[in-house]
Amino acid sequence: MSQQRSSYAVGTGLFIVLGFAALAYLATQTSSVANVHQGASYTVDAHFTNIGALKERAPVKIAGVRIGQVQSITLPPGQEVADVKLTIDKSYDRIPQDSVVTIFTSGLLGDQYVGIDYGSSQQFVANGGTLARTKSSQPLEEMLGKFFGAGGVSDNIGGTYTVKADFSNVGTLSVGAPVKMAGVAIGTVQTVVADPVKLDAKVTLAIDKRYNAIPDDSSAAVFTSGLIGSQYVAIQPGGSPDALKDGDEMVLTQSAMQLEDLIGKFLVNGSSSDTKSAGNGKSDIPPAGKH
Amino acid sequence: MNVRASQHNNVVVQSLAQIGNCGLFLLTLLVAIPRSFRHVRETIRQLWFVGAMSLTIIMVCGLFIGMVLMLQLYNVLSIFGSTSASGMVVALAVYRELGPVVTALLFAGRAGTSITAEIGLMRATDQIDAMEMMAVDPIAYVATPRFLAGLIAMPLLCCVFCAMAIFGGHLVGVTWLGIDNGTFWSNMTAVVVVHTDIVNGVLFKSLVFGAVVSLIAVFQGFTTPPTSEGVAYATTRTVVASSIAILALDFVLTAFLM
Repeated sequence: MSQQRSSYAVGTGLFIVLGFAALAYLATQTSSVANVHQGASYTVDAHFTNIGALKERAPVKIAGVRIGQVQSITLPPGQEVADVKLTIDKSYDRIPQDSVVTIFTSGLLGDQYVGIDYGSSQQFVANGGTLARTKSSQPLEEMLGKFFGAGGVSDNIGGTYTVKADFSNVGTLSVGAPVKMAGVAIGTVQTVVADPVKLDAKVTLAIDKRYNAIPDDSSAAVFTSGLIGSQYVAIQPGGSPDALKDGDEMVLTQSAMQLEDLIGKFLVNGSSSDTKSAGNGKSDIPPAGKH
Repeated sequence: MNVRASQHNNVVVQSLAQIGNCGLFLLTLLVAIPRSFRHVRETIRQLWFVGAMSLTIIMVCGLFIGMVLMLQLYNVLSIFGSTSASGMVVALAVYRELGPVVTALLFAGRAGTSITAEIGLMRATDQIDAMEMMAVDPIAYVATPRFLAGLIAMPLLCCVFCAMAIFGGHLVGVTWLGIDNGTFWSNMTAVVVVHTDIVNGVLFKSLVFGAVVSLIAVFQGFTTPPTSEGVAYATTRTVVASSIAILALDFVLTAFLM
């Protein structure tokens, strides 16, 4: 009997040991214990006007190598800048005071992290010190906005006048999309209709009366805000002394650029699709939003 | 119509009574814990029975859960070209949900039923009454050791389950499908946080599930009608009630812990 009892005890003991071994395995091998447990470290402040999606415990990197983590992110009441506390490993204690702290995004859709670019100062930042030179997170929208010249959509549009424009391809332009000039919304797309005779898309733009001095040789183009954003009509002013009037037609138009075409042209210069995409296929006009 | 309504009423009242009795039984169990320290050997024997003997099924199921999860994720994530993220998704899914829940369901099926059946048969064959006659407290000698054993065994089993699932994911992902070994582990360690995922997810949830499953199993065993049919019903009820309690509690716990 005692023999059997002790075998139970041994088996149970083995089971318990196995369970704890599994727990230790989970805790050490599959999670970043290093993130929680840290050696000697010191803390540095940095102020950002926009931290984007930076989170606590995000890595701090120099030359892409992790040297610490974000300890806390606070917005002191009444201030416009976020106070980010960085915990940095003690062995990297020779960071020049004029180093630039930047919030980067790993990849296009990845997490955000703090990158430090070394400065040239002989003064090193101390525990509790502040790295004054920072670059805030660059929202992708803003970056692409600069690139494409898109801005915010304005509201309260008063009286409008309408202008027509023909496009061979409007992409996914829909009724209500903004009309922008210099990146500022000055009107909206009123109708998008396919022309049964000319086989192109007729777009009617309602433009705010305040902008009544747009030269009549201005061109209209269908642009995309951001990489995967919605499409809008951009007006690029021409040089004519005469202004557009109600009911006028814009002659110079530029159709929607298909991202696929664009990348295709960029990457494979002279691929097979290039030869036929010159006319930008009239057959692939999407059905108009409303009739 | 009236009859049906009254039956309905009966069912509701009976369920409420069951829940109330179960709560009272839990109090009795907890009060009996100090008295059951005299029966440490019995607790160890039960731990052997519900814990160590459940290892095989837990390990095999954990392995397959990890493998199938990785296979599914690989297929979906390859659409977005981010198969290297599948390791971390396996880890998070297993730690936060699948590990505790599947382990608890298996535990209810493997250990809960046998606890109910054993105690039910003890009752049916008057062994419980005989213990009382011999001045042995059946709560402290039969019920509490099994309850404690379930409470201790569940987190341990869950850890083993999770480790096997990670191993299975690694087996399919890295060995078979060719995800890079380094990215597999580094992506995993980058997102798994000890406090939220392992302590709150694996340990806390499985502790609660272990308590609930073993409470239901012991309670059903003690309250079963002393007939062979009664034991059969009680065993079925253990599985049904445990499964519902596990899944419902899982939602509540997740909502609280998130």
